[in-house]
Amino acid sequence: MRDVPILKIENLGHSYGKYLVIQDISLEVDSGEMTALIGPNGAGKTTFYNTVTGRFPPTRGRVHFNGKEITGFPAHKLVPMGLIRSFQITNIFPKLTVIENVLVPLVLHYRKGYSFLRALTGEKKLYRNAEEVLDKVGILESAHRPAGELAYGDKRLVEMAIVLARNPKLVMLDEPTAGMNPEETERMIYLIKELAERFGTTFFLTEHDMKVVFAVATQIYVLHQGGLIAQGDPETIRIDPKVREAYLGGSVND
Amino acid sequence: MKTYKPAATIFSSLAALALLSACPFVLPTYWTLILTEILIMGLFAMSFNLLLGYTGLLSFGQAGFFGVGAYATALFISKGGSSLFLCLVISLAAGAAAAVVIGYFCVRRDEIYFAMITLAFGMMLYTVAHSWIELTGGSDGLPLMTLPSLRLFGMELSLYSPTNMFMIVLLVTAVCIFFLWRLVRSPFGLLLTAIRENKQRLSFVGAGVQNLRLAAFVIAGALAGISGCMFSLFNSMAAPDFLHWGFSARPVLMTILGGSGIFFGPMLGAAVFFGLEQAITNITQNWMFFLGLILTPVVIFFPKGILGTLVDYLFKKTKGKP
Amino acid sequence: MESFIINLLNGLSWGMLLFLISVGLTTVFGVLGVLNFAHGSLFMLGAYLCMQMMHFVPSFWAGLLTGPLLVAILGVVIERLLLRRIYGRDITFQLLLTFAILLVLDDAVRMIWGPGYHVVDPPTILSGVFSIFSRTYPVYRVFLVVAGPLIGLVLWSFFQLTRWGKIIRAAAVDREMAEGIGIRVPILFTAVFGLGAWLAAVGGALAAPHQSLAPSMGERIIIESFIVVVSGGMGSFPGAFVGALLLGLLESFGTVFLGRAQMAIPYILLATVLLIRPRGFFGREV
Repeated sequence: MRDVPILKIENLGHSYGKYLVIQDISLEVDSGEMTALIGPNGAGKTTFYNTVTGRFPPTRGRVHFNGKEITGFPAHKLVPMGLIRSFQITNIFPKLTVIENVLVPLVLHYRKGYSFLRALTGEKKLYRNAEEVLDKVGILESAHRPAGELAYGDKRLVEMAIVLARNPKLVMLDEPTAGMNPEETERMIYLIKELAERFGTTFFLTEHDMKVVFAVATQIYVLHQGGLIAQGDPETIRIDPKVREAYLGGSVND
Repeated sequence: MKTYKPAATIFSSLAALALLSACPFVLPTYWTLILTEILIMGLFAMSFNLLLGYTGLLSFGQAGFFGVGAYATALFISKGGSSLFLCLVISLAAGAAAAVVIGYFCVRRDEIYFAMITLAFGMMLYTVAHSWIELTGGSDGLPLMTLPSLRLFGMELSLYSPTNMFMIVLLVTAVCIFFLWRLVRSPFGLLLTAIRENKQRLSFVGAGVQNLRLAAFVIAGALAGISGCMFSLFNSMAAPDFLHWGFSARPVLMTILGGSGIFFGPMLGAAVFFGLEQAITNITQNWMFFLGLILTPVVIFFPKGILGTLVDYLFKKTKGKP
Repeated sequence: MESFIINLLNGLSWGMLLFLISVGLTTVFGVLGVLNFAHGSLFMLGAYLCMQMMHFVPSFWAGLLTGPLLVAILGVVIERLLLRRIYGRDITFQLLLTFAILLVLDDAVRMIWGPGYHVVDPPTILSGVFSIFSRTYPVYRVFLVVAGPLIGLVLWSFFQLTRWGKIIRAAAVDREMAEGIGIRVPILFTAVFGLGAWLAAVGGALAAPHQSLAPSMGERIIIESFIVVVSGGMGSFPGAFVGALLLGLLESFGTVFLGRAQMAIPYILLATVLLIRPRGFFGREV
């Protein structure tokens, strides 16, 4: 039996004035799948992300999440529903400690944001939960260091921990390995796979590193010049001549 | 965070309170008056620092709420009010109410734009105090013909006595500071620092940043209102100058002087400010000139302020030990 | 009708002075990224030094020429010694440092020239009044109304046509790019701050015969020129022109419409612009 897709996008388009950035994108993400959106720079991936995750509303098309229409919803409405995104650049709270970075989303998750007079340190449940999340991504030992002092790869893990802390149904990762060295990339791939397998987190990601895409994705969409030109499992995409021609330039097997 | 010891904190704050309440009995009246002013302006600066140091918002209109509090008390008394407690409550409510309305517009803006729009609203309030002569007495201000008195244990305590005034101000300030202390350590306080650190990230983990900012703005406005109430009692009047942008610059200055990254920084800044003012005005009339001269190196070389630099220094020293 | 003309002339002449001081402020902000609280004090120093120079050479024109030059030199010193150390810091520190400079300069003026008022006579050809219908109007204000656009035009040609002007505009738009194409940014910054100080002082010198001189004149005008700069669009030359004229006219006609609430006009303008169009009339997208 096939469930309602967790994310369903119909005819999504966005333009700045006359300039059409993305057009007529329709796609579905199934729960438990690892879906990737690939495309060369300037294909419109970031615009796609911004319109879906509430940075700004799309100029046309519809977005459904878990069967509910969410077109143009701002981020702070999407997150409680279970849709959360990460960023291409490191996007953390640099002067807060690592554990505080994770406590921020947890405070929001447990609706303690307007708890004015209870000490945060008294919220044992939040701390336990934060430690669990840090353990999941493997940076528990740095819990009390200021996040801004960590190495680049570890900062990305903090970012991942912030995202996971809200226990999302769908995580949209924007180039999770951008700027990482091979070792860090390796670690991130392993982490994403493990999170998906052990905790059942559903991921949607964009990526330009083909190794990463083929290592983790089970379903791939290819974006070119603002429109989708192919979709399928990694094998299908790997041999699709349109994809090779338009985007991969024959270097698929690197 | 790890070294936080509640017992030590409670003990040292009680000791500080005890020490301070002994002051009016050993210090000359003149210094009691100055200490009173330090406490009032220090509380004002600390409430301002909830916005600057914790939330990352530079407000240039806090004097507006301070003045609203001062006028609320002055008007209440001129209409025959005589309860000190009601003065405080009314000023708090007035400061908070003004901050709700003004904050609703201001919290949408950032950085320099936030500073400018708070300046604009603060100066609109100043214009009201200055021009609505029938209500506020115009540029002469509104004198407090009588001060409320306090009944305690069957005794009537007059606020005309500097000692009593000091004690009341100390009590109110201590309560407000305790509230602030709890606040910055609460989950809400964590979110405020998250706004300062990365507002965009915060909204993408699902926070309504503007509402959080508004809450901080209203709390700061309410505490500014209480400070204004005490200031008008202390000066026996409310004047339009209390709302002017030049007055708004004071908490900014005290906060940077003491250090915006440290909880008690603004209070220390206020103490340094008034201490210097006393020392310098003894010698010369041109206190502003020297204030500028002192401020310049602090801003350039000690961006963490006096207390912030001191704490850093001590921390490094202890860290160096095995 | 005659009161309309008089209000119009008042608004225009005040607007022209505001323009002169705001154009320096906005250029400094555009290039250096610093909103200079002490700009009004430089304006005031321009007026006082013009007056002082007139004691040595009793001619307004000599004062107008030499006074602002001295202020420009002071500006260069301030930039080299102080401002240079806080570029890229948080705005709180920039505002506070320039506020400290304001405190020093304002009190220095009080120490040197005393707290009282001073009056500077306009040059002989521009003194006197002429009549509009049944009323009289000072010639000097009309001179300001004419001189303002002329100075604006000269400045505009400087920014549009000369090499230095183009460099400054480029740097105001994109500092990093300016660095990339080989402009020596530290010297540029000093020059721009000197130019800004000079413009403020010229405004002050021109204002000297128009209003009386007092140590508070800097504090009064700085907030209004902040308002002009923000509503015009921070860093925008045409924005400063339009903003200054608009504020000048609003203030002079405001007395007619708003009576004693007219004091609030600049602040209402500022808040309205920030709420509706935060980047100002001519500002770039934020």
